[in-house]
Amino acid sequence: MAKRVVEVSSLVKQYGSLRAVDGISFELYEGEVFAFLGPNGAGKTTTVEILECIRPLTSGSAKVFGFDVTKREDVKEIKKRIGVLTQDFSALDKLSVKENIDLIGGMYEKKLDTLEVIKLLDLEDKTKEKFENLSGGLKQRVGVAAALVNDPQLVFLDEPTTGLDPKARREVWSVIENLKKLGKTVFLTTHYMEEAQVLADRIAIINKGKIAVIGSPQELISHHGGLKVLIVRKGGKKLAETLQNKYGGTTLNHGGDVFVKVDDVKEMWQALSTLTDMHIGKEIEIQTPTIEDVFLKVVGGRITEEGELK
Amino acid sequence: MIRPITIFTAVTKNWMRSRSGLFFSIMFPVLLLLVFGAIFGGVGGASKYGIFVQNLDRTADEAPTELSDAFIEALNSTETFAITTIPVDADARSYARDALGPLGGNIRILIIPEGFQDDLLNGTVKVRVGISYTTLNYSLPYLNETEKIFVEICIAQMGQYNASLPDRSASLTLILDPSDQSAAIVKSIVISIANAFNYQLIGAKNVINFTEEQVTVRQFRGIDFYIPGIIAAFIMTNGIIGVTTNTTEFKRRGIIKRLSVTPLAKIEWILGNVLSQTVLNLMLTAIIIVVGWLVFNVQAIPDIFSLLIIFLGSVMFSGIGMVLSGLVKDVEAASAIGNAIAFPMMFLSGTYWPVEFMPAFLQSFARVLPLTYFSEGLRYAMIFKYSEGIFTNMAIVSALAAAFIILGALVTRWKEK
Repeated sequence: MAKRVVEVSSLVKQYGSLRAVDGISFELYEGEVFAFLGPNGAGKTTTVEILECIRPLTSGSAKVFGFDVTKREDVKEIKKRIGVLTQDFSALDKLSVKENIDLIGGMYEKKLDTLEVIKLLDLEDKTKEKFENLSGGLKQRVGVAAALVNDPQLVFLDEPTTGLDPKARREVWSVIENLKKLGKTVFLTTHYMEEAQVLADRIAIINKGKIAVIGSPQELISHHGGLKVLIVRKGGKKLAETLQNKYGGTTLNHGGDVFVKVDDVKEMWQALSTLTDMHIGKEIEIQTPTIEDVFLKVVGGRITEEGELK
Repeated sequence: MIRPITIFTAVTKNWMRSRSGLFFSIMFPVLLLLVFGAIFGGVGGASKYGIFVQNLDRTADEAPTELSDAFIEALNSTETFAITTIPVDADARSYARDALGPLGGNIRILIIPEGFQDDLLNGTVKVRVGISYTTLNYSLPYLNETEKIFVEICIAQMGQYNASLPDRSASLTLILDPSDQSAAIVKSIVISIANAFNYQLIGAKNVINFTEEQVTVRQFRGIDFYIPGIIAAFIMTNGIIGVTTNTTEFKRRGIIKRLSVTPLAKIEWILGNVLSQTVLNLMLTAIIIVVGWLVFNVQAIPDIFSLLIIFLGSVMFSGIGMVLSGLVKDVEAASAIGNAIAFPMMFLSGTYWPVEFMPAFLQSFARVLPLTYFSEGLRYAMIFKYSEGIFTNMAIVSALAAAFIILGALVTRWKEK
């Protein structure tokens, strides 16, 4: 069993009448990428900032490396051991990439060589470039570099790809994958389903301050993702009727595509076998559920590009 | 101690590379010094009041009479007036208006009328005889009988002679524009010269004499007043406007939040910023002093007290900046509040003119403004070398610096709510 890095129990954060975090409990284990997936206002950043020791909790407990986030002496120890990419990360505009990383590095007693970190993030040709001249993706990479400069055991990445174009987003994903290879524990918050599914070892879906479900992407999909769908492109009405009689749950769209919902792998093979025997000569596609389907099922809505719940 | 220095280095570098920051912190004060120094500094030759003089008092061969000419010479000798002579046959007002040209200017005309010398002499004799007559009357009780008879005859003859003299005195016409702000000064100088003439002609001697001595070692000019004033004013704006807007901007962009998740303590952040402000303000001081020396020949070499006051002022105004940035949320509000506080303070704290020149209620107000004590202390230390003034103001600035830094640390939010 991997070592626990973060332990959160019955955590509550109250703002007046608003309960931003509502009694959540979870753990993070050493070396894993853990994603908090939820819409804006779900309580992701609030939780992360409590763990980063910059926001007080209302009740419950939160420990990082066994240190209590509410104790002053423990806070010093936590801050030494964590690296943070804050939401909407920014740095001093007129300073170069290296100078900005040096600035953050200068806050720690022990730190990595800045040029080493720059190399790790593939920023060597931008070392002397002023921060203000960088693209959004490069700025985020500088943020990640700054988060790694103290060689942290745990890295918080709060919405690391929000506002980035798809290319820059995939660049950041590649950086996060490398962090995992380096053995870092990563706490990622995001409202992008695909991001959580691609990067995370475990995902917690959070909404209105509560964790709806928690588990590995596969676990979540198999438990909450719903049925797999077998699609026969341009299968036609006759085939739809045949499959309906045999397996039920079959539908036909206007284009003549036939959709067959199957409960499990066994039923899937049976259906495929039937189709093979029929020599239909049509294109067959198998559609498996995604985290988006899980989210839709457990939360009852989708998240827009801007992070709003619809 | 390393963390505040790291913050200091980063914040200072960031500022040094910002053109607008450099302009408002260094270039703008230098430009203001050049403008103020040139206009009000009392350097490059004092400006003179222009005045037109028409001398209508002429001798038979059209030459100016001796006394009217002496009066004009007396005006000239004050080195206060630039005199333009109006010809005898010209209309004085039209001539002056034409001479001033389309851009206009203040019309100041002194007309010495015809008969000025005669009237002056007549008046002088009448006054002198009058004085003698009165003096002799006063002496009668102290004389013996023989002397008394002789003096009484003299008094009677003097009385007859005085009565025979026409009852007129010399008069001058001074034409001034009511909108002319210098009219009162011009008028008082002309009256002073006329009085001096009166006294001279009747043979009066000064009963009260003035001995004028400079309080300090050397004579001071306006520019000597402005140099510490401008330094003090811009140390204030760098703190109140610069620190407030920079800190609010750092806060808005999440830079402070990013730093707060590191082991950096709030007080280390404040210390780094104060250090940065102190260095910036020392640079400003050095540049202003060099420009003042090169352009205006002002030798204001800062001593240890000046440097100490600059440090204390930097702490005090950075503290005020920290307090304001802790209270406001966005950069626009920070800029507006910073300007609303800094600019009235700049003009009401005796930085550009002495507090004593202001109305009484504004003087009382100036005494509650931190800049008053800072600029006074800096002026005493840099220019006047007046130790009592230095220490009193330094003590007040120290207390305020401590109070504002503590308050700044209290209101600076290092944690989210």
